[in-house]
Amino acid sequence: MIEVDRVTKTFGPLPALREVSFSVPTGTVCGLLGHNGAGKTTIVKILSTLLEPTTGTATVAGFDVVADADQVRRSIGVTGQDAALDGALTGRENLVLFGRLRGMKRKQAAARAEELLESFDLVTAADRAVATYSGGMRRRIDIAVSLIVPPKVLFLDEPTTGLDPRSRRDVWTLVSSLAAQDVTVLLTTQYLEEADVLSDSIVILDAGRVVARGTAEELKRRMGHGYCQVTPLHPEDLVRVASALGGYEGLEVDAAANTVAVPAPRGVTTLAEVFRTLEELGVELMDISLRKPSLDEVFLHLTGPTLTV
Amino acid sequence: MSAVLALTERQVGASIRNLDLVFAVLVPVLTFIGFTVGLRNVIDTGGIAYPQYVLPAVVVQSMLFGALNTTDLVAHERASEFGVRLRTLPISVYAPMLARMSYCLIRGALAVAATFAVAYPFGFRMDGGPAWGVVFVALALTLTLALSLGAEAIGSRVKRLDTSSQLLLIPQLLLVLLSTGMAPVESFPTGVRPFVEHQPISQITETLRGVASGHVDGSNLVVTVAWCIGLLSAFGFVAVRGQGRRS
Repeated sequence: MIEVDRVTKTFGPLPALREVSFSVPTGTVCGLLGHNGAGKTTIVKILSTLLEPTTGTATVAGFDVVADADQVRRSIGVTGQDAALDGALTGRENLVLFGRLRGMKRKQAAARAEELLESFDLVTAADRAVATYSGGMRRRIDIAVSLIVPPKVLFLDEPTTGLDPRSRRDVWTLVSSLAAQDVTVLLTTQYLEEADVLSDSIVILDAGRVVARGTAEELKRRMGHGYCQVTPLHPEDLVRVASALGGYEGLEVDAAANTVAVPAPRGVTTLAEVFRTLEELGVELMDISLRKPSLDEVFLHLTGPTLTV
Repeated sequence: MSAVLALTERQVGASIRNLDLVFAVLVPVLTFIGFTVGLRNVIDTGGIAYPQYVLPAVVVQSMLFGALNTTDLVAHERASEFGVRLRTLPISVYAPMLARMSYCLIRGALAVAATFAVAYPFGFRMDGGPAWGVVFVALALTLTLALSLGAEAIGSRVKRLDTSSQLLLIPQLLLVLLSTGMAPVESFPTGVRPFVEHQPISQITETLRGVASGHVDGSNLVVTVAWCIGLLSAFGFVAVRGQGRRS
C-alpha cells in the first residue's frame, strides 16, 4: 500500500534522505523511528505530496506521489506534529469544514462529524473552540479530521509527542483500531516503546538512511540473543556468583544493580544451567530471569549514542 | 468551487470573531467622520463640499488598510499547520487564495457600504445616479482585488511574520497623505506637487470623485484603469506563483 523505492531528497547541498526504500502492506502499521533530523518528516511530506523526491519513486495506495499526486491526496489522511486545525472553530465546525473540503454536502458532513465525535469521545467538547482543548483532545480531533473521509493510508507524524501517558494510551488504542479497519498507517515516532507496541513493522532511520527494518521481534533478534540475569539475595554473594559463572563468555557484573548477566544463546536451557550451578553453590537468589534485548538497545546500537529519549 | 465556498465561509466567520470585519466597517466610518468634522472648514476644495470631496479617499484608504491586514492573514495562513494540511487535500492549490480574495471582496463591499451610510447624513450624494453608483462600487472593488492580490503576493513570500504589514504601513500612509484625496493639489508645497498630482492614489480618488458626480475626466479614467489592470496582472502573477503546494 506504501512503496518507497530508493528515494533521495536533497535540500540544496544537504542530503535529507539517501536511497530510502521500504514498503508497508495494506492494513498494517509501520513505525518510522529515528531521532530529530533523521528524515522522518521529510518522508511523510514526500508521501503526502508536499515535497517531491529528488530521485527515486514512491507510491501510496497504488498511485505515484508525483505523477498521480491528486489521486494520492484522495486516498490519504495526514495528521501533522502540531494540530493542523482552525483553533477558532469548534471541533464540530472543523470536522464539517474538512468534510466539505473533501466534497461532502453540508448535511452529510454534519452526520459524519457526529459519528466521529462519538467514536472519539469528543461529544461533550464538540461545540467548544479547538484552541481550548487539552493536548490529548486536540490530537484526537486532529486524527478524527484525517478520517472524515475514510482514508486508505493515514500518516501520523509524531502522534503522541508532548502528550501525557494517559492520552498517549488513548491514541495508541485509536491507532490499533484503525489498522483493524484495514487502514494502512505510517507513523513516525521518537518513542521506541510506541513503535514496539503499535507497529507491525519498523523502519529505523538515521541521518537520512534506513539503517534497519523488520518487525520489532526481528530487530531484537538481530541484536543477538537474550541474556540470563541473576540477582543474589545478599549482595556480598555477588562475587561468588560471578566467579561460579566465570566460564560464560561475555559475563557482565553490575555491582550497583547487584546483578550478574550472561548471554543465553539457548534461552531457557542456559537459564536452567545457571540455576543449577548456583543451587550447587548454595547461593540464595532474589531473582533469576531471561531478558531479551529491548528495542532501545537495538536502536542505540544502530544509530549511535546521540539519541534523545 | 465548493472548497472555495467552504473556506470563504470559514474566513468570514473567523473575521467576525477576530474583529477584522468590525474594523473594516469602523475604519472608514471613523476616518470619514474625523476628516469631515476636522477639515471641512479648513481645506478649500473649490466649489465642492468637503464630504463629497473626501469620500473617495476614505474608500481608497480603507481598501489599503484592509490589504495590510490581508498580508498578515496570508502570511499566517500559509505558514500554519492548517495551511499545510489544506495542501494535502484533493482541492485546487488555488482554493485557499481564491477564498481569501472572495473574503477581501466581501470586506471591501462592506467598507464601501459603511462609508456611504455614514456619508449620507453629512450630505454626500451619488449625483450621477444609480448607474454611476454601480461604476463607483465596481471600481472600488477592482482596486480592492488588486491590492489584496498584492497582499497575497507579499504575504505568501514573507519569512518573518508579524512585521510585514507594519513595514507597509509607512508607504501606505505617505501615499494617502501626499495625495489629492484629502486636499487639492494647490494646498501642497510646490516641490511635491508633481508627485501629488500624478501618483496613483490621487488619480484613483479623482476618478472616483468624478464617478460620484457623474462627470469623469477621460485622462483620469484611463490612468486609473491602467493602474488597476497593471496592479491586477502584476500582483496576480506574483500571487499565483506563490501558491505552490510544495513547501
